[in-house]
Amino acid sequence: MSQPEFRYIGQHLPRKEDRRFLIGAGRYIDDIEVPGALHACFVRSPHAHARILSIDLEAARAMPGVVAIVTGQDLALWTTRHRMAPPIDGIQAVEMDSLPIERVRFHGDPVACVVATDRYLAEDAAEQVFVDYEALQAVTDMRHALDPGAPLVDETLASNLVSHQHQAIGDVDARLRDAHRVVESVFSQHRQTHVPIETRGCIAIWDEGREHLTFHIGCQVPHPYRTALAGRLRLSESQVTVISPDVGGGFGQKITLYREELAVAALARELRRPVRWREDRMENLSASTQAREDLCRTRAAVDANGRLLGLELEILEDFGAYCFYPGNYLARVVAMILTGPYKVQDYRFDVKVVLTNKVGNAPMRAPMAITSWVMEGTMEAIARELGLDAMDVRRLNMIEAADLPYTMATGEVLRDVTPRETFEAALAAIDYAAFRERQRVALAQGRLLGLGLCTVVESTTYGSAFYKSAGIAGSGHEAAWLRIEPSGAVNVSVGLGATGQGYETALSQAVAEGLGIEPSSIRLHLGHTDIAPYGMGSRGARGGTAGGGVLYLCALDARAKVLAIAARKLGLADASGLRMVDGRVERAAGTDWADSGLTLADLARIAYLDPLALPEGMAPGLDFSRTFDPPPMTYSNATHACEIELDARTGGLKILRYLVAEDCGTVLSPVVVQGQQHGAIAMGLSGALFEEVIYDASGQNLTGLLADYLVATATELPDFEIIPMHTPSQFTPAGIKGMAEGGVMGAIGVISNAINDALRPYGVVADRQPFTPMYLRSLLRGGEAAKENST
Amino acid sequence: MKPSAFSYHRPVTLDAALALLAEHGDAAKAIAGGQSLAPMMNLRLAQPAELIDLGDLLGLDQLRESDGAIEIGALVRHQQLAESELLRERCPLLAEAAQGIGHYAIRQRGTLGGSLAHADPAAQLPLVAVTLGAQIELASRRGRRVLSAAEFFVSVMTTELAADELIVAVRFPALLPGEGAAFRLFNRRHGDFAIVSVAASVQVNGGRVARLRLGVGGVEPVPVHLDELAARQAGRTPDAAWVAEMAAGASAAVEAENDERITALYRRELTESLVARALAAALKLSGAKP
Amino acid sequence: MDRQAIRLHINGRDFDIEVAPRKLLSDALREDCRLTGTHVGCEHGVCGACTVLVDGRPTRACLTFAVQMEGHQITTIEAVAEGGELSQLQQALHEEHGLQCGFCTPGIVMTFEAYLSEHPDPSDDEIRDVLSGNLCRCTGYHNIVAAIRKAAKRMRGDGHVAA
Repeated sequence: MSQPEFRYIGQHLPRKEDRRFLIGAGRYIDDIEVPGALHACFVRSPHAHARILSIDLEAARAMPGVVAIVTGQDLALWTTRHRMAPPIDGIQAVEMDSLPIERVRFHGDPVACVVATDRYLAEDAAEQVFVDYEALQAVTDMRHALDPGAPLVDETLASNLVSHQHQAIGDVDARLRDAHRVVESVFSQHRQTHVPIETRGCIAIWDEGREHLTFHIGCQVPHPYRTALAGRLRLSESQVTVISPDVGGGFGQKITLYREELAVAALARELRRPVRWREDRMENLSASTQAREDLCRTRAAVDANGRLLGLELEILEDFGAYCFYPGNYLARVVAMILTGPYKVQDYRFDVKVVLTNKVGNAPMRAPMAITSWVMEGTMEAIARELGLDAMDVRRLNMIEAADLPYTMATGEVLRDVTPRETFEAALAAIDYAAFRERQRVALAQGRLLGLGLCTVVESTTYGSAFYKSAGIAGSGHEAAWLRIEPSGAVNVSVGLGATGQGYETALSQAVAEGLGIEPSSIRLHLGHTDIAPYGMGSRGARGGTAGGGVLYLCALDARAKVLAIAARKLGLADASGLRMVDGRVERAAGTDWADSGLTLADLARIAYLDPLALPEGMAPGLDFSRTFDPPPMTYSNATHACEIELDARTGGLKILRYLVAEDCGTVLSPVVVQGQQHGAIAMGLSGALFEEVIYDASGQNLTGLLADYLVATATELPDFEIIPMHTPSQFTPAGIKGMAEGGVMGAIGVISNAINDALRPYGVVADRQPFTPMYLRSLLRGGEAAKENST
Repeated sequence: MKPSAFSYHRPVTLDAALALLAEHGDAAKAIAGGQSLAPMMNLRLAQPAELIDLGDLLGLDQLRESDGAIEIGALVRHQQLAESELLRERCPLLAEAAQGIGHYAIRQRGTLGGSLAHADPAAQLPLVAVTLGAQIELASRRGRRVLSAAEFFVSVMTTELAADELIVAVRFPALLPGEGAAFRLFNRRHGDFAIVSVAASVQVNGGRVARLRLGVGGVEPVPVHLDELAARQAGRTPDAAWVAEMAAGASAAVEAENDERITALYRRELTESLVARALAAALKLSGAKP
Repeated sequence: MDRQAIRLHINGRDFDIEVAPRKLLSDALREDCRLTGTHVGCEHGVCGACTVLVDGRPTRACLTFAVQMEGHQITTIEAVAEGGELSQLQQALHEEHGLQCGFCTPGIVMTFEAYLSEHPDPSDDEIRDVLSGNLCRCTGYHNIVAAIRKAAKRMRGDGHVAA
């Protein structure tokens, strides 16, 4: 490992935050007691698409405990509409009411909000709200959303096409024309949803005297959320405080300002009473946000050796009924980084995103998840069609160290990545050659073994330059402050939003490294918009690079000032012969270091209480602020490998072994990184094999319970072996590259490749997720029939 | 997802419970372990005005052998069935089936009576009851009666249980000499309801089949005992070919449900492979070599 | 249908509360008894986050009505760390990084405090079998299994005792 020498960064430290969670003293949204708070509950549409003719509240208003019931008409008076109109070619501008007024667009769309003294009574009253609907034809299949005469999900648009992006680099037509073979592949990914174990929820407290809203909400992006919330309520940002407590998972579902949350905030202001809402699991599964439903098609122009000459990508994505995010959001990233570790300069993509009468989309951990599956699957398809070994095809096309920096056709630059190294390491670790022999023996016994490989190049951290070039409004920077108190205690803050990823531990290690004190003496403050600096929050995998990076830089600033004070105290010309270790100043003595007798507390005392003893011109106090804008894009990489056994009779599948060789640069906390990798892989496998949001032809959601939307349990998942191969980035503070989503990308790709490896004797290919036993059995059946017919 | 309001009753004797059921009829529901009823109530799919809690009733938790049968009280929990030494020896099919019901925490609460009354077509205990020809004793103010399991299950989640009745006990036949039994199922995830499940019990005497019991769950609205197929097997030699023949026969005999996601063809294929596996295991346990 | 006064015996103490019969034990624990360590994840008995012990047996608090619990002993997560000292299982979860967001954690701790007291030497398969009744979206279960294995070993006295 070529990680630079760190004292605190990279230490295997158990998490600081664990205790309160272990003893049941965590403080999640529902644990916050607010005396006198009222409870909200939403009335939701039973139709996928309908006109709202009338809403009869009379019976409901008379129910016990009811304080108020409001509809979209009321909220239109108290809030602004949501407008999603990024200035990007190909994206249609759309608007959204705070609650639907004229039409509902999906099964579960909220049409009224009941506020009562408790949730039980609110639900009783909600049952007594009678809405007269005129059911309309629904669009439930993205492949037909653009058919002539298809019902319009949004009547202000000319069609259901909400975003169309395309780009051509080089001459793909020429490559296709001159190719030895054009290999075409299809990849169909199904609709999924995030399923944090803690559902959404919020508490709104309006102070009428100060005209100030305090909004408690589990949120990944407290400051951007505050900006949005204030704007929609026509309040100044100074009138809103967002406080995110402990959060039971986010995964991308706890970023946007939802309509339910806005309604709760507006109601608290109108009623002048605190109002709270906790989403139940049925709402979470069928009425929050969903993700991943896309259909990809690649056409690869190759030579006789399997070298990739040109590549074409088409994507069709089902965005659901409402745009909580810009329509090009996902597709942009997938199309842009698709080629990943493979060399090709003639590339074009066409991405269409359509609206349908389903829940709207939100990014879900690794929104670009399909990328590695598609690219690695294309490599496998090339090998299959040309009768070549899939590993050789990968080697032929993959970038190596000598190729770096490598500029992808789309302009993305890969600098510090090591895909070839992780590829070879994973292959060796899974013992590829020995596997082929075992597979052959097993096949003779009637057993199907499969081996899959998938290399991931994960875009982790987006800098402002990336957003600018992509035409997306927003910044990639992050902000931090650090304060050393007179006693020497250290408080720090950064604009991230914690949802379980161990920030208190990992970020303490970054600060400790920068300042020269022990991680245990640092307290991290997150999630409170009056305390934390304005940051872009936690999304993608930017916590390490952007958050850890800015804190590290801020801590270096603090260290410089503190050592300058020490130098003055010790009568030295400057601090060049001083260092801070574990909160004590050490002084160079020849080739050794000796304790100077000064501690951080001593220096803090001077800074606060004896400022005349400070160096000439130095201001009192030890208060530091920093912002940091990461490079346009930072990548980490990994290669996943797994071995499975497929039961030919039932289509059932067992994962026998799973490993990943990973390079995510400097690792702040190996404990946290390991946990993140496990969690990401688990989510990917769970999604590829079990999860599925199912809408029937009329748009009814059939998977509104955890008994129907299947999440992998401990018996479905294997142990995970991780081979660390970290090489630091040359472009980020401390060399951090970040990670947290690549595991999903790798898992989806590797399980697909393993299954198709097992299916090879049958001459069939699984190209549609989820890989259910029924689906795999149907492929096997087809393959058996073909074999019988051909003998 | 909060349940709607109800009046709560907690009788301490069976007679008191039956009196309440007689009084309230269709407006009442009895709750035992609650693992099936409580979710339905939280979803407001069940909205009984009166809830009769059977938790305090004594004398409904027996688990003993008498007269060649294992008598089990309606309030015996799944985990007790799964861990029972007596069952492992004398009715292993029931113990094995119980081990796979839901998850460990569910099994602590769920009861035999509750599972049978709920009558989910994919559930383990109704299938074992039907396969072994268990006798189900029902009680009401009007008296007691005994129904065979086959008579008891009418359709999906529909049984012969009247509004004023409770299941009090179930009698399962004890294992015969030379008999081996096995339970096999296929599901998406461990602990999920089965897509298809099979209960097989075969008695072998002198190297020949003396009696075969073969039941399949998850394919039809109620668990199916393949009477006709089983009845023809006396005297057969239980070798590998016979096992394959039984598997194919079972697959052909079931009238499998068909839907878009799980087709009839798939259910029949599962039936075939699960019967083959269950029978092979049962034969091994019977002491015979297939 | 009206509220009734009941006495719940939780963690060795009595709690006198007034609840409607339909109030779920999960809600009564959290709101009426102010024991918020038991979490609500689904209210249909699948996720296991609300698992408590009733007479020492793992029970989904969301599938139980509070009124049913009179006369029974309830144990919640708040009782596990005696005198502020983490149990072997809690300590092992900490050492093995067997928790991330922490929302599912109390349900897992309660399930296994009970299970390990009766099954001191489970195989990994048995651990995963019992754990399958608790959903975790963060960890992928690998470290939770390792923690349970470690705790079981220490509780048997096979491994060195944690400092």
